[in-house]
Amino acid sequence: MKTYIKIALFVVTFIALSAILAALYYYNLKHTDMAKAKPDLVVTATVLQKAFEDNETAASIKYINKIVEVTGNIASVKPAGNNVLSISLVTVSEMSSVICTFPAIADPSKFRIGDEIRLRGECSGFLMDVLLNNCAVIENK
Amino acid sequence: MKRLFLLLFFLNIFFAVNAQKYMTKNGFIGFFSHTPMEDIKGDNNQVAGVLDISTGDMVFQALIKSFHFDRALMEEHFNENYMESDKFPKSSFKGKITNLSSVNFSKNGTYDVTVEGDLTIHDVTNKISSKGTVEVVSGGINASSKFNIVPEDYKINIPGVVREKINKNLEVTVKMKYENLH
Repeated sequence: MKTYIKIALFVVTFIALSAILAALYYYNLKHTDMAKAKPDLVVTATVLQKAFEDNETAASIKYINKIVEVTGNIASVKPAGNNVLSISLVTVSEMSSVICTFPAIADPSKFRIGDEIRLRGECSGFLMDVLLNNCAVIENK
Repeated sequence: MKRLFLLLFFLNIFFAVNAQKYMTKNGFIGFFSHTPMEDIKGDNNQVAGVLDISTGDMVFQALIKSFHFDRALMEEHFNENYMESDKFPKSSFKGKITNLSSVNFSKNGTYDVTVEGDLTIHDVTNKISSKGTVEVVSGGINASSKFNIVPEDYKINIPGVVREKINKNLEVTVKMKYENLH
């Protein structure tokens, strides 16, 4: 076999293998581990909720899809939806809070209402409350 | 004295009205589709919903970005390619229980219901009707339902190659645990 054909075959095989490996890598890509991720924004629950209540459009641009680290006092600890746990944080509003949902079952007994907590999660937006997804506890005082 | 009387009067109305309303901010909506390669499954545990037991009115609202998938890539495709969640961030349902008289909200138990209303996804609204159950428990109401939707009915375009692999219908599951607003 001529040398240039060998080189061509090698290059084609290399490209094909790289493409398969890259596809497999992206296909199996895991979600960001919030416990280790660097936060894009660090705020208090009150500031975050007020930002959405005052101007949802501006707050959406600033916070949605961002990793947000939020500090606040626990208002409620509830089982959410399909066997996951959600924690809501106290804000100045009585009707609206920051709700942080965990990706899997977390032990609710670790959390006490009123305690200060620091959580990190991805901001999905605002319904009646600001919603953070895929949350991890950074500090539970 | 007159003011106090008026205040008490309105407070009474407020609580009387609220006593009929049940609410959740942690409801579940999931969808599922089987393909030969793998199952496609998205879960949303942040659904807000209100149920008025005096009228049977039901309202749900969900953020598309709150749907969670096991695979990060699938979640990205769902948001960017199919649901266009930056453009259409919310999905909602507004309807009512049509056979409200068959539910005894003052007696614990499970009751079969039919719910009809308008489902809005991807900024397209369609009428839907679905069977489900309402479970009256101490201090709350659990509601659940399962129904099918066709993505094309909501102008969700799935490319031909992928479309052939996904079932025509997506199965939607709704599970709500309502608490009294009182």
